[in-house]
Amino acid sequence: MAVGTILFILVLQTVLRFNILDPVLWALYFPSFLDGIVLTLRYLGIILPLSAVIGFTVGWARIAPFRTLSWPLSVFVDFFRGVPPIIVVIFAAVLGPSLLPARFRSQDIGIIIAALTLAMHSGAYQSEIFRAGFMSVPRGQLEAAQSLGMTRGAAMRYVVLPQALRLSIPPLANEFAVVVKDTSLLAIVGGFELFGSSFIFEQQILFSPGNQLSWIFVVWTAVALVYFVMTFAVTELLNAIDRRYHVKGLEAVTV
Amino acid sequence: MIRVEELQKRFGALHVLKGVNLEVQKGEVLVIIGPSGSGKSTLLRCINLLIEPDSGRVFLDGTQVNRRDIRPEWVRQQVGMVFQSFNLFAHLTALQNVTLGPVRVLGTDAAAAEAQGRKLLDRVGLADKADAYPAQLSGGQQQRVAIARALAMNPKAMLFDEPTSALDPEYIREVLDVMAALARDGMTMIVVTHEMGFASTAAKRILFMDAGRIIEEGSPEEIFHRPKQERTRMFVGKILR
Amino acid sequence: MPSASENQRRSRVRIVDILLAILVTLGILAYILDVLALRWGLSTTYIAKSYPNYLKAAWISLYVTTIAYFIGMGIGFVLGWARSVQTLPLARVMAARRREAVAAADGGSPGAGLFLGTVFVYSIKYYVRRTADAYVAIIRGTPLFVQIVFVWSAVIVFYPRLDPLFQGLLSGVIALTANTGGYQSEIFRAGIQTVHSGQVEAARAIGLSRWGAMRYIVLPQAVRLVIPPLTNEYIGLLKASSLLAVVGSVPELTTFGRSEAFQTFHIFEAFALVVGIYLLITFPVSKVVEWIERRYRVPGLGIQAPRTARV
Repeated sequence: MAVGTILFILVLQTVLRFNILDPVLWALYFPSFLDGIVLTLRYLGIILPLSAVIGFTVGWARIAPFRTLSWPLSVFVDFFRGVPPIIVVIFAAVLGPSLLPARFRSQDIGIIIAALTLAMHSGAYQSEIFRAGFMSVPRGQLEAAQSLGMTRGAAMRYVVLPQALRLSIPPLANEFAVVVKDTSLLAIVGGFELFGSSFIFEQQILFSPGNQLSWIFVVWTAVALVYFVMTFAVTELLNAIDRRYHVKGLEAVTV
Repeated sequence: MIRVEELQKRFGALHVLKGVNLEVQKGEVLVIIGPSGSGKSTLLRCINLLIEPDSGRVFLDGTQVNRRDIRPEWVRQQVGMVFQSFNLFAHLTALQNVTLGPVRVLGTDAAAAEAQGRKLLDRVGLADKADAYPAQLSGGQQQRVAIARALAMNPKAMLFDEPTSALDPEYIREVLDVMAALARDGMTMIVVTHEMGFASTAAKRILFMDAGRIIEEGSPEEIFHRPKQERTRMFVGKILR
Repeated sequence: MPSASENQRRSRVRIVDILLAILVTLGILAYILDVLALRWGLSTTYIAKSYPNYLKAAWISLYVTTIAYFIGMGIGFVLGWARSVQTLPLARVMAARRREAVAAADGGSPGAGLFLGTVFVYSIKYYVRRTADAYVAIIRGTPLFVQIVFVWSAVIVFYPRLDPLFQGLLSGVIALTANTGGYQSEIFRAGIQTVHSGQVEAARAIGLSRWGAMRYIVLPQAVRLVIPPLTNEYIGLLKASSLLAVVGSVPELTTFGRSEAFQTFHIFEAFALVVGIYLLITFPVSKVVEWIERRYRVPGLGIQAPRTARV
């Protein structure tokens, strides 16, 4: 696959007439590039775990027999699934800070709020994944556990949950990859993660004299490559976890 | 030891149990036969309180157990159950399946539970499969592990819900053998089954159930060869070739 | 003691639960709206005056989405087909073919030309498939933002004198088409493969050619399988079209809402209108799809579609 990628980039280079290894460009661009990657990773460090916690909690709550709990949460989930994330991000960043008491309103708080909103957005999708995971565990498992004298809680903990989590991992891998890509949305509200800082750099190229337009392609190809590697890494990591804990005979989840 | 009085259960518009009475003595093997939909599974599940009856009483050792102030979990520790679809915990090995109950419910220490578990697996003939996962076992082997799992709780009685109905023919024998051995060792058993061979040899009494009611009750000899009720006669005629 | 009154009690609890649920849901919604409206002001005059403009912007979103969707469908179908072909690793096939050719030539030297011809045709199939795989992997592995901007840059560089609106429109349609093409190929591939396995064998056993089997057996079933995920993909693409806001020159719904918000300072109203319109379109459609899937679900048959057109 690495071979294919290099081949592909070479083809792209020739067609669009740019040089991916142009040293002049990289001297200028590398700081933004690196900073962007680091910031993306830091955002992911917050958003991924948070979204998983939200997703799991909401998914769990939604299979509870109490409609009082599950209906409001269904509204929450349907909202975030029906609305494009970019619009929620924009307005969270603009309107969010005014909801906070004045002492928290720093310069960057809007972006942080937008990041938290992304976590909620992914959390809504993840709740569906976890919920499907729970529902995929055959009912007989719970019955059998209870027939041994386990309370419902113990049965959940030792029998249903371990299986539900294992079932949820493959679709979760896909969703995590989406979160990685979603971080690029923060650029539109002023975030300086990978996409954002690269976009700003690109604008500078376009409007400064003596520019080389072909540099734009270099930048975006490099950016695409990094995202590709990140999504690949995330999915492979979860697939590895899946392989480690996989149980034969558990049916796949259809979300 | 187990007694059931006037059990009633409805599921919506469906009246599944219409006043069932039943009694099993200690060490006795009771077999329940009947067409599908007659309520046999529901009856079993009412005995270990997996299903709550609408009315009627369930007694264990003379004490009524379907009461608000008695925890169903406590009842289920005393009465084990074996399911038609085995329901082995897919994420655990055979040994772990057997030890989960004792460790997490009875509070048995892990080493003791493991020792007991290995003994039980040996008793059902699967000592060498202790570390196998359910997906690696045949149906017959899975069901035998399920029996060992139920036995690990040291129950006073065992309920069997069509234990061999989901098995390929070549595996039925091995499970029935285990059940027969259990009966010989004096376990109180209520078995819902279509295996007439087992019923004739192992059962002390047979109940014929249809449409939510016990139609007839008697020894295997009586039920199979001299049924008194017309419906019993028709059903037995269809089952016995 | 469980009795008839026990049942009554249970259904009473159920009714209370439902009522409470409705109350809590509406209550929370009302509270949120109240707090937000109070904090940021809710001008109903603005809403009443401007909503036609929002609807027009929504129309543009739908327009762009639909064009990209159907062109993408063509691409997706072809790619999906290409990727559903079973291709074994090249070396194994070559070894098998070599053996076949030797056996057929019966001791004499095998027709080198025939052998090479097979390998050549096979190689093409193999590389076509790998290229298609690579294309889809790139689409799925990179953010839509990057894809849009990449195409946009190319358009700007090669057509600098084009009106910005058209530059944006062209880039948007191309990027969205490429994007949905990739995701739809996954859907078609899964649909074809789900049906494919035993069915082609059975079809050929009754005398159908491979093409006939495809046409009369596989495709009709595959069509039924792919409709729910394809519908979800349309909704996903509509939401994805919102990313054209980064271009800024195409007045689709999100871009319009954003510029309205910042120009008129009716921020919350703009947000509410945009969100409301998106929900109005997506919510009923996805609920209908869910209902159809639930109703016509065949246990064991179904496509595990990856989440559709994403950022």
